[in-house]
Amino acid sequence: MKAVIIGAGLGGLLAGAKLAGAGYSVEVFEKLPFTGGRFTNLPYKGFKLSTGALHMIPHGSRGPLAKMLREVGANVIIIDSEPMAVIRKENGEIISFHDFRNELSLTKQVKLGTVLAYSLKFRPNNDISFRDWVLKYFDDDCLLKLADSFCGWSLSLQAKDVPAREMLEIINNMYLYKGSGVPAGGCGAVTDALCEIIKSKGGKIYTHSCVERIIVYNGIVKGVIVKGNQIYADIVISDIGPIGTSNLYECTDSEYLDKIKNLKPSKGIKICLSSDEPLIGHSGVYFTPYAKRVNGINEVTNADPSLSPPGKHLIMSHQAMISEDTRTEIDLGLLDIARVFPDKKYEVLLIQSYSDGWPVNRASSGSDTGNETPVKDLYIVGDGAKGHGGIEVEGVALGVGNLMKMMEVN
Amino acid sequence: MKVRGDCVGCGQCAAYCPFDAIIVMALASMNEKCIQCGTCIDYCPLDAISEEE
Repeated sequence: MKAVIIGAGLGGLLAGAKLAGAGYSVEVFEKLPFTGGRFTNLPYKGFKLSTGALHMIPHGSRGPLAKMLREVGANVIIIDSEPMAVIRKENGEIISFHDFRNELSLTKQVKLGTVLAYSLKFRPNNDISFRDWVLKYFDDDCLLKLADSFCGWSLSLQAKDVPAREMLEIINNMYLYKGSGVPAGGCGAVTDALCEIIKSKGGKIYTHSCVERIIVYNGIVKGVIVKGNQIYADIVISDIGPIGTSNLYECTDSEYLDKIKNLKPSKGIKICLSSDEPLIGHSGVYFTPYAKRVNGINEVTNADPSLSPPGKHLIMSHQAMISEDTRTEIDLGLLDIARVFPDKKYEVLLIQSYSDGWPVNRASSGSDTGNETPVKDLYIVGDGAKGHGGIEVEGVALGVGNLMKMMEVN
Repeated sequence: MKVRGDCVGCGQCAAYCPFDAIIVMALASMNEKCIQCGTCIDYCPLDAISEEE
């Protein structure tokens, strides 16, 4: 059986590694000169910045991505963060993430426990947002700010744009898999390891190779066209999102087209900083619920110093983009950082923004349209086909897992 | 080089520019160090960079 994969992002490479391991003949075609998509390293002035996601695996060595990496035999070390996360309070005091409950009145603490336990068992409908869900039970500014900070950091969305049902699934996974970790060598170490697995099993990966068309005959996928050459395949898996994929063949299923047309990508800004002295001092998430825009910050060099030149720290902040004016959003983000670290010296290395055609997520969390397409044997993976309850790359791994189950690949 | 409005400001072009000639701030722009080598064209995920006509 031959599988062609369009796009060498994390989803495409995970699917490729799983299929190569199951005996498929795998060929991966990537348009860019490098593999890894928005989950690899970006060399910049001696630092290992990242093309997209931060150097972070949301559920560390215990989560769905780590599990899948172990399944395919990828040689990746994930350094779990300790503490998992902290919260910077309005007065600048730092508390452990789990201690946020202590900031609430005793009545609210008890209520939170009861409401959470009830809602995890009986999930709310999809039409209530996480913000409305919080408001329904608690009139509490601290909780709302924390909800926005957490949703912004993990999903690049405001709490009002995340379905409560999806967020509760994520909270459930937080209990199940715990907190984050840093892949040694950065996110590039993950995608590089997957490329090695595919190649070691006889698969081929071509960069600089844009798929021009998907060949479909009688509603069944037959292969792809790359640089004018027809390449036949039994299955085609696309990691370029549902819309990009549908543009590569004559899609006539109007119901499907309507569904994917309404997908809203999530938008965000990452500010990369360098400093001589640590700004945070650990590799856990530093949530900033009281900042105007920045949702959270992490200092990955506390887990892996090789991500920056000797004697330097690498710090990355993330913020969901609230308005359409990227420039203003960046200025507000820079102001936040100056306020959060008033006495520290740091240098801004690079400011990266993601939206529209190159977003944080092609489908904002909770709006993914699944692996299947109207064409038989043509499937979608990646950030447009995440599994439920999966934060970012965990969702990508869960989505690939869903497809493998569908294809009966172990 | 010409940068189209599709540019989102991901910074890949700036990182791979051999001449440190690209500033990224919401979108990419080239400074006086640019010698029109065209490396950035390949690294743009959105095909937003082209040679000047």
